[in-house]
Amino acid sequence: MAACRIGVYICNCGTNIARVVGCDEVATRVSGLDNVAVARSYQYMCSNPGQEMIAQDIREQGLDRVVVAACSPRMHEPTFRAALQGAGLNPYFLEMANIREQCSWVHEDPRAATEKAVGLTTAAVRRVVHHEPLERRFVEMCPATLVLGGGIAGLTAALQLADAGPQVYLVEREDRLGGNVARVDLTAPYLDSARSLLEERIARVATHPRIEVLLRSRLRELTGYVGNFTARVHNANGGLRHLDVGSVVVCTGYREFDAARASEFGYGRLPDVITSFELERMLRAGRIETRAGVPPRNVAVVHCVGSRSERHHAYCSRVCCMTALKYAHEIRSALPEARVMDLYIDMHAFGKGCEDFYRRSSELKTMFLMYAKGHTPRIRQADPGETGLLIEVRDVLSGEEVEVPADLVVLMVGMEAREDSEEVAHLVNISRDKDGWFIESHPKLDPVATTTDGVYIAGACQAPKDIPDSVAQARAAAARILARIARGRIEVDAITAEVDESACSGCRICGEMCPYAAIDFDTGARRSRVISALCKACGTCAAACPAGAIRARHFTDRQILAQIEGVLEWPSNHGSSASSATGAPTRGPTLPEPAASVTAPTSAPSA
Amino acid sequence: MAVRLAAEPDSLRRSGGGGSGGRGAASPRSVRVNPRLIDDLARYGAQDVSKCYHCGNCSAVCPFSREPHLFPRRSMRYLQLGLETRLRGSLEPWLCYYCGECSEQCPRGAEPGETMMSMRRWLTAQYDATGLSRLFYRSWKAELLALAIVSVLTGVGFLAWGLLNGNFSIYDGPGAFLSSAVVHRFDWGLAAALIVLLAANCARMWWFSVVQAAGPKVPLWSYVKQAWLFPFHFFTQARYRECERKRPWAVHLVLVLSYVTLFTLIVFFVQEMQSGPGIDWRVHAFGYAASVGLVAAVLFAVRGRRAAREAQYRHSHESDWVFLVLLLAVAVSGLMQHALHRLGFLPAANVVYLLHLMLAVPMLLVEVPFSKWAHMVYRPLAMYFAALLADAHGAATRSEAPGIARAA
Repeated sequence: MAACRIGVYICNCGTNIARVVGCDEVATRVSGLDNVAVARSYQYMCSNPGQEMIAQDIREQGLDRVVVAACSPRMHEPTFRAALQGAGLNPYFLEMANIREQCSWVHEDPRAATEKAVGLTTAAVRRVVHHEPLERRFVEMCPATLVLGGGIAGLTAALQLADAGPQVYLVEREDRLGGNVARVDLTAPYLDSARSLLEERIARVATHPRIEVLLRSRLRELTGYVGNFTARVHNANGGLRHLDVGSVVVCTGYREFDAARASEFGYGRLPDVITSFELERMLRAGRIETRAGVPPRNVAVVHCVGSRSERHHAYCSRVCCMTALKYAHEIRSALPEARVMDLYIDMHAFGKGCEDFYRRSSELKTMFLMYAKGHTPRIRQADPGETGLLIEVRDVLSGEEVEVPADLVVLMVGMEAREDSEEVAHLVNISRDKDGWFIESHPKLDPVATTTDGVYIAGACQAPKDIPDSVAQARAAAARILARIARGRIEVDAITAEVDESACSGCRICGEMCPYAAIDFDTGARRSRVISALCKACGTCAAACPAGAIRARHFTDRQILAQIEGVLEWPSNHGSSASSATGAPTRGPTLPEPAASVTAPTSAPSA
Repeated sequence: MAVRLAAEPDSLRRSGGGGSGGRGAASPRSVRVNPRLIDDLARYGAQDVSKCYHCGNCSAVCPFSREPHLFPRRSMRYLQLGLETRLRGSLEPWLCYYCGECSEQCPRGAEPGETMMSMRRWLTAQYDATGLSRLFYRSWKAELLALAIVSVLTGVGFLAWGLLNGNFSIYDGPGAFLSSAVVHRFDWGLAAALIVLLAANCARMWWFSVVQAAGPKVPLWSYVKQAWLFPFHFFTQARYRECERKRPWAVHLVLVLSYVTLFTLIVFFVQEMQSGPGIDWRVHAFGYAASVGLVAAVLFAVRGRRAAREAQYRHSHESDWVFLVLLLAVAVSGLMQHALHRLGFLPAANVVYLLHLMLAVPMLLVEVPFSKWAHMVYRPLAMYFAALLADAHGAATRSEAPGIARAA
């Protein structure tokens, strides 16, 4: 490697680093390393004067490599890359050593921490020598969007996108739009009609000039990458469409838990045990009655059927509690003489207006019976001579085993992932959790995107959620897509894998290993190729390639080995420069296993 | 006495605790819930029960609530669920003296104190087999009608008797309009009738709360050993004194003792009371003191209920007003006829005496067995029964685990 000129900058981070690490000493000691032209310690490297210091040194001292020993690269790598670029240097000629999270924040002994900081910085200096200039690239963004699912989330996303201008293809398996919301009468907690929520949206979607609705249709294949997907959609009549889209929003929703699977509730066996959706049908028809055709006097509502259970789903389905309270209102207003009894485990009333709704429901003389998780109520036919059903349950608040007489028992069936969720996940290349829900990119900070760039999720296909949450997520997904369309093209990170086609044997192991489907196989040339727009630079293919034909840019073997060597040369670095550079007395044996005690900084890309 | 009530918390916990009104493990049979009982109790004054969400603040703050009688929360729950048999067998409403702390502390405004009060009304109706009590509590019009009928019958009866056998201008002695000897015999008859009715109600209370409730059998010796509790609590109202504020207890004690004194004077010494025109201090001294005490205590309660500031006075059922108004009217009319007699206005004294009887007889006949008056017997009886049940549990626990010596 030709000689280069490296600038090394040790950030004090106020006192965050300097309190434990001797920053001036680190600067002094690394200044003696090969290729280091300048080494400085400064209060805040990320500040404007700090960045200006780097830019000035690049210009005046002719630096061609920069090492910043500061915080985690996740924090300020983009900042310093921009500083390099501003000074006319390729931004990838930067390497960071993390002496805050990996040093000053986790160590108490200043001596040992300083030694470790020297080791980490030395490793960075050794590595940066082998950095290569990389170029960022751009791909075009197709403005059309594919929306999978015509429920409340899909309708919302489609309208928001199409209203802003781009074309939308809305693909729905069934022969109608509206999804599960169309099966509901009123909504909690404000008792608005679900129909009125949907009707206007469905009408607008159906007549929208830029929305094409494909009913009774299914996605069969999705190829390409962000901004440039091709979807193959089949319809029930055998029709086939190829759609070019830049983004995909998955809004495939949920299905209700099959109550017959929880046999203790007697669904299917006892005549007047019905599911919440069956009650919704009665409510929409305006006739609540038992199998015998008479209005019920006592209606029992059993919460958590299929949810929060060891046997079925451990999670909470989130909407059932408030829906159950809604039934108390609807039943009492339809049948003023009827009494509603709510058998619940915990009342989850977390949404806006829900606690108040709970209070108002209890004022309707609803009887609330709390049962313990795992002590499922048992439902049986009443004894001879009596009509209706009896529910046996242990009431937690009194400790009594009680019998609840009921003419109608409503099971609050929970939500579960649809039977086709695995197929959909495979088609659009996203992951599912153990319950079958699609996994978001980050549970808190990025709940809309997925691990596949350009594929978004919204609504109850991600996890059980109510209408406002589904709508919010759909609008967020649409906003993300519109922001990308507005930019017109998509920047692709320069840090990707690349295949040396002359060394590739075409074994396709890399393609099987790639979690992002970023490797394409050229059947003509029998060589694998990396689709850089999809590559997240995880390095799996590079490690897996038996021929060593795949190189992970910015994480080449040479770079990583040089970094390791930098750490390993630490004792000699200490021995030579500690006494010569600082003239300090010989340090005590505070680090008995130096090589094992230092950790190489991980400048992991943002995957 | 509270020490007796708190008997053997450990043994109760061991046998399952919680359950049925302090009776160890819950019955193996399930109890049927009744979603409409709450509507029925609302007629007795329990308006806010469904607001309760069982934080337990009421039971924590109650000076009486301790193992095994943890109230009012448990009673609130029984009522919400409509566990009729549990409520009917519960002594807990009688162990509450309505100091109002629970209602003051309730974060939901569920008025546990008033709920306990309405349960006492409901229990009174349950103990009465005739159904009259239920009728009177649920309809104040029916109660007033019953009072009016008894009043008119009393008035007509005594008027006819007085006009046929006596002289309207003679108050006392031979030829008196209302002869004290006759009134005395009538008193005895009335007292006997009240005792029979009350005893029947008490027997039902015993049946519901001691016999019917599943639990160990009460040993016979216990009935004798604990018998003193009834007169003790009747005459001292000692439990009420455990409330944080002592004044309600003092007022109540004055009311009870005054009432008992006057009742005794009238049943046993009506001839001396009616003698005159000189003052017979042996009886009249007691009569004056008791009358003053009665009027003062009643006025105190009337003022409290009108102001409706303190929790125990915030809600007034019709039966509460009937109780106070009748008591005041009887006391005032009794004092007036006495005064008119002393002052020599004999015909006027006879008229007021007749009015006094027309107030006192219906008050006793309607209120004592069928309405609020009955609580003077049920409260001390509940203390007695609670001690019996505690004994029964103690005995059962000892026989289950003979090897375990209990700390003294």
